[in-house]
Amino acid sequence: MLSIKNLEAGYGKVQVLHGISMEVPKGKVVTLIGSNGAGKTTTMRAISGMIKPTAGQISLHGKRIDGLESYTIAKQGLAHSPEGRRVFATMTVTDNLILGAFPRLTGSRPKGDVAGDLERAMELFPRLKERRNQLAGTLSGGEQQMLAMARAVMLNPEIVLLDEPSMGLAPILVEEVFRIISDLKGQGVTMLLVEQFAAAALKVADYGYVLENGRISVHGQADQLRDDPAVRAAYLGGGH
Amino acid sequence: MEILLQLIYSGVALGMIYAVIAFGYQLTFQTSDTLNFGQGDALMLGAMVGLTLVNMGVNYWLMLPLVIVFGLLQGGIVERIGVRPAIKIKSEFGWIMSTIALGIIFKNVAENIWGRDDLKFPSPLPEAPLKFLGANVLPMEILVVVGAVLMMLAVEFFNRKTIYGKAVVATFNDRDAAKLMGINTGLVITFSYALSSATAAFAGALIAPLTLTGATMGSVLGLKAFAVAIIGGLTSGLGIIVGGIILGVAETTTGFYLSTGYKDVPGLVLLLLVLAFKPAGLFGKNAIKKV
Amino acid sequence: MNRKTLIAAILGLALLAAAPLLTGNSYYIHMIGTIMIYAILLYGLDIVVGYTGQVSLGHAGLFGVGSYTAGVLFMKLGAPLWVIIPASIAVTAGFGALLALPALRVTGPYLAMVTLAFGTIIQILINEMTFLTEGPLGITIPKPSIFGEKLTEHGFYWLTFALMVLSLVVVDRILKSQLGRAFEALRGSPVASDCMGVSVYRYKVYAFVISAGFAGLAGCLYAYSEQYISPNTYNFELTVLFLLAVIMGGRKTRSGALLGAAIIVILPKLLDDLELFRIVASGLAVLMLVGGAIGVARKITTPRAMAIPVVGTLALAGFAFWLQSITDWRLSIFGLMILFVVYYLQNGIVGFVRALFHVRKPIARHGQAEAGKDAISVAAGAQDAEKGGNLLTAQGILMQFGGLKAINQVDLHIRRGTIHGLIGPNGSGKSTMMNVLTGIYVPTAGSIEFAGRPVVGRTSSDIALSGIARTFQNVQLFGEMTALQNVQVGLHHTFGSTILDVSLHTPRYRREEASAVQRGMGLLSFVGLADLADEEARNLPYGKQRLLEIARALALDPQLLLLDEPAAGLTAPDIKELIAIIKKIRDHGITVILIEHHMDVVMGLCDTVSVLDFGQKIAEGKPAEVQANEKVIEAYLGGTAA
Repeated sequence: MLSIKNLEAGYGKVQVLHGISMEVPKGKVVTLIGSNGAGKTTTMRAISGMIKPTAGQISLHGKRIDGLESYTIAKQGLAHSPEGRRVFATMTVTDNLILGAFPRLTGSRPKGDVAGDLERAMELFPRLKERRNQLAGTLSGGEQQMLAMARAVMLNPEIVLLDEPSMGLAPILVEEVFRIISDLKGQGVTMLLVEQFAAAALKVADYGYVLENGRISVHGQADQLRDDPAVRAAYLGGGH
Repeated sequence: MEILLQLIYSGVALGMIYAVIAFGYQLTFQTSDTLNFGQGDALMLGAMVGLTLVNMGVNYWLMLPLVIVFGLLQGGIVERIGVRPAIKIKSEFGWIMSTIALGIIFKNVAENIWGRDDLKFPSPLPEAPLKFLGANVLPMEILVVVGAVLMMLAVEFFNRKTIYGKAVVATFNDRDAAKLMGINTGLVITFSYALSSATAAFAGALIAPLTLTGATMGSVLGLKAFAVAIIGGLTSGLGIIVGGIILGVAETTTGFYLSTGYKDVPGLVLLLLVLAFKPAGLFGKNAIKKV
Repeated sequence: MNRKTLIAAILGLALLAAAPLLTGNSYYIHMIGTIMIYAILLYGLDIVVGYTGQVSLGHAGLFGVGSYTAGVLFMKLGAPLWVIIPASIAVTAGFGALLALPALRVTGPYLAMVTLAFGTIIQILINEMTFLTEGPLGITIPKPSIFGEKLTEHGFYWLTFALMVLSLVVVDRILKSQLGRAFEALRGSPVASDCMGVSVYRYKVYAFVISAGFAGLAGCLYAYSEQYISPNTYNFELTVLFLLAVIMGGRKTRSGALLGAAIIVILPKLLDDLELFRIVASGLAVLMLVGGAIGVARKITTPRAMAIPVVGTLALAGFAFWLQSITDWRLSIFGLMILFVVYYLQNGIVGFVRALFHVRKPIARHGQAEAGKDAISVAAGAQDAEKGGNLLTAQGILMQFGGLKAINQVDLHIRRGTIHGLIGPNGSGKSTMMNVLTGIYVPTAGSIEFAGRPVVGRTSSDIALSGIARTFQNVQLFGEMTALQNVQVGLHHTFGSTILDVSLHTPRYRREEASAVQRGMGLLSFVGLADLADEEARNLPYGKQRLLEIARALALDPQLLLLDEPAAGLTAPDIKELIAIIKKIRDHGITVILIEHHMDVVMGLCDTVSVLDFGQKIAEGKPAEVQANEKVIEAYLGGTAA
C-alpha cells in the first residue's frame, strides 16, 4: 500500500536519509527501528509531508505523494501520530478527536459514522473516555500519547504512521500502548511504526527495517530480527 | 458625579471599540504570528463604505452585514498581497512593512475618494440621551457595546461549535499538527485576516455615528487597540475587554479633566508601563521558548 | 575596504564637499544639505534596522526631540552652537533610553507598535506643551554662529558636511568593532548570543540609544537648516520615509543610507511635478518590459516572475497619464514603493547592484595572523582548585511544562577535570537539562551550584560569563559572519573598550581588537579551522560548523563546557577528529559535560556517565558499568527483550 523508493531527505545542509526503500503492505504492521539520530522521525515526516524529500519516491496506493502538502496527504487517507504527541492543548479531548475526522466532516473523505467512531475510540482508549471534557494540555504524557493515536485513528485512514508512541512513557503505559497497537492490528489497520524500543516493536510487527545513519542496514520478518545480534549492536554500540 | 458617570459610559463604549479591534489583532496573531498594521484603516474603510451605502439610501441595519462582507474581502486582499508572500520568504520585517504600506495606500485612496474632511454619519438611533443611574448615555453608545459584545460572542461560538472554527483554534495551537489533520492552514490564515478586517469594519460602522468620520480616523484607533491588546494580553479574550474599558475610561476622563489634546496620551503611556513591568499583559501568560 | 572602493568613496565625498561651489543655486544647496542631515539619522537607524533587525517606527519622534532640544535651548536660553549640538545628542539619547528600556523587552511587531506609540506621544507632547515648545506655532531659529561670526549658507553646508563625514566614520568604526559584532550576533541567533555572554536585551538597548544619539544630531542640524520647526513635521509619514530609505538604499551599508536619503528627499519633489512623474513612470515601464524580455530570453527569470513587475509598472504609467494631480497620491506611491522593495529588492539598491556585479562584501582578511601559543586559557583559580572536587552540583531538579515532568528529581554532581557523559533515550530530558544549566529554562524546583555560586534565576549571559559555555544540538552559528567573527563574539567578554574608545580608535581599543584576532585565530587553529577563518559561517560544511561552535564556546574561557550532541550528523573521520579535540580540551583542565547518542564516542571519552530515562536518573557510573547495566539496556532496547 505504501511504497518508498530511494528516499533522501534532510534539514537544510544536513542530509539525514541517504536513499532508503521500504514497503508497507495492506493490513500489515511494519516497524522501522534504529537508535537516535538514525533518521526514523525524518522518514515519517517525509512520508506525511511535514518535510519535502530531496530525492526519491513515495507512493500511496500507487499514487505519488512525495512533495505534496501534509494536508493533501492526510486527505488521501494517511494519518500521522507525530513524535512528541502534538495534541491541541487548549481544546478538549473530544474536540481533538473530532478534529482527527476533519476531512470526513468537510467532504474530503467519505463521512461514515463519525459519532460512532468517536464512541469506539473511547472504548479502545478507556483513559480518554474518563477525561473526555478535559483540556488536552492538562493530560499526562501517556494520556497525550493515547490521544494522539486515537486522533489518528479517527481519520478512518488507509494507513497510520505512529512515531515513537512509547517515548517518555512509564513501562506500564508502554504495555498498554502496545496492547492497543495489537488490537488495531487485529482489526486490520495498516500501520508503520517507528520505535526506539526495538523489542516491543518487533513483537507486534510483521516486518521490520533497521535504520542506521540514514540507511537501511538490515530488514526481515520481525520474529527473525528479534534474535539478530546486529540489531542490539546498532543500539548499544561496541562489537560491530 | 453625574459627569463622571457620563464619562465612564462613554469610556466603556469607546473601550469596547478598542476591544473589538484588538480582538482582530489576536485572531491573526494566534494563527499566523503576524498582525495587520493597517487594522485601523480597515475600521476606517468600514465606516466610509458604510457611510456611502447609507447615503445611497441603504438602511443602516442592512448596511451592517454588507460592511462585514466588504471587510472580509479587504482582509483577504491584505493577507494575499501583504502577508502571505512575506511568510513565504520568512521575513518578519517583510509583513510588518507591507501591512503598513497597504494601510497607507488604503488611507490615501480613502482620502481621494471621500476627501480629507471629517463627515457626519447619520445616527440610526434617536440622538436624545437616556438616563441611566442618574447620568446621560446615548442610545448609540449602548448599541456600540451591545454590537461589540455580540460580535465577539459570535466568533467565540464559531470557534467552539463549528468544525471550521475548531480548525482555526487547532491551527493556532499547533500549525504542523493541524496540517496533519487535513487542515489547509494557509486558508485558515487568510480566513483569520478576513475575519479580523470584518470585525474592524463592523466596529467602524458602529462607532461612526458617535465620532467624526474621516480618512484619518483609523490610525490612532489602530494604535490604541494595539495598546489594549498588549495591556490585556494577546492571548486573553477577557483581557482585552477589561483592557479596553480601562483605556476607554482613562481617555474620556483625561480628555475632560486635563485637555482634549492630551487624551491620547494615557493609553500610550499605559502601554509603555505594562511593557516595562508585565510584558505578557495583565491577564497574559508568559510563553516558554523552546530551544 | 579595498582600494577601488576607497578611492571611489573619497572622490564622491570630495564632490559632495565641493557642491556649493559647483552650483550657486540656494535651493540645491539646501536640498543636498537636507540629504546629508537625513543620512546622519539613517546611519543610526541602520544600526537598529539593518544590523539588529528591529523595526522602529519612532525615529521621526526622536528626530523631533533633537530639533526641539535645539529650538528650545536657543529660544529660552540663547545657547550657543557648541552647547546645543551635544545637548541635542544627549537629550535624544536619553529619550531613546527611556523608550528602549521597556520597549526592547519585546520584539518584532510589539516593538514596532511601541515605537509608533512613542513617536505619537512625542508629537502630541510637542504640540500640547506650548509653554515650552510654542506648540503649533513653532519655533524660529536663525543660522548658528561660530566664534561670534554668523555662518553663511555655504559655511553651514560645510559644517553639516563635516558632521556627516564624522558620523559616517564613527558609525563605521562602531560596526566594525566588538559592538558591531554583538549587534549582528543578536540578530543571527539570540539564544547563542545570550549563551556567549552577549546579553541580547542590553545590546538591543545600546543599539537603540546610539541610533537615538544620531537622530538627535540630525534633528538639531535640521532645525538650523530649516530655520523653522513645527510639530506636524515629525509624523508617521516621516518615520515611514526613513524606513523606506534604509531598506531601499540598502541595509548594512553607509552608501545605502546616503542613497536612501537622496531618494526620500528628491522623491516628494518629483511627485509634485506631474509631467516629470509621467516621464519617469513611462520610462520605468519601458525599462521593466525590456529588462523582463531580456531576462526571459536569457533564461535568468521566468515570465511568471516578471509578470507582476511588468504589469505593475505599466499600470502605474497608465495611472500617471489619467491623473490630474499627483500630490494627492504621494502616499500611495510611497506605499507601493515599500511593497516593491520588500518583495523584490530585499537588499536594497546597493545590495542589488553589488549582487549584479558580484561585488563581495568587504571583509578584512586575517588569514596568516599569528596564532597565540596557548589559545585556551582557563579562568583564573580553576587550575589551583583540587582536581576531583565538585565543580557543579545540581540537586532535586524538577522541570515541569504543564502536566509534563521533563526532568523529575534529578541530582547531578560534576567533578572538576572530568568528562561527564549524559545519555538516555529520546525525550529523557537531556537537552532540557542543558537548557536548565545554562539559564534558558528556569527549573520548577531544585538548586544548582556552580563554582560556589547559585545558578538558578540568573540570566543566560550572566551564567555564560561566570564560566559555563555550551554548544547547541541545532547549530546556532551567526550565519552571516565569518568563522573568525563568530569566535570573536565569544571573546566579547575580553573587551573593556567603551563606545568612545571604539569611535576614537584609542590604543586600548586597538590592543584589545588585535588580541581578539590573535586569540580567535588560535582557537580556530585548535579545532583545525584556521584556514577557513574568513569564510561565512553558513557556507561551511556541516562538520566544520559544529567544530566552529566548539571554538566559539571555548572563547568564553569556560571552566565547564557543555556539548550537546556534538557528533550528530558527522561522518566517521569527523568523529575521530572530534574525539581528539575533546580530549585536548579535557587536558587543558576544562570540565566537560557531553550529551551524545553515539555510544562509541561516549564510552571512549567519558570518565563518568549518567543515564536519564523519562526525566529521571536511572544509572550512573563508569562507562563499562553503565553499558552492562540491566536497567539501561532495558531503557534503550525496551520491554522484556525477547
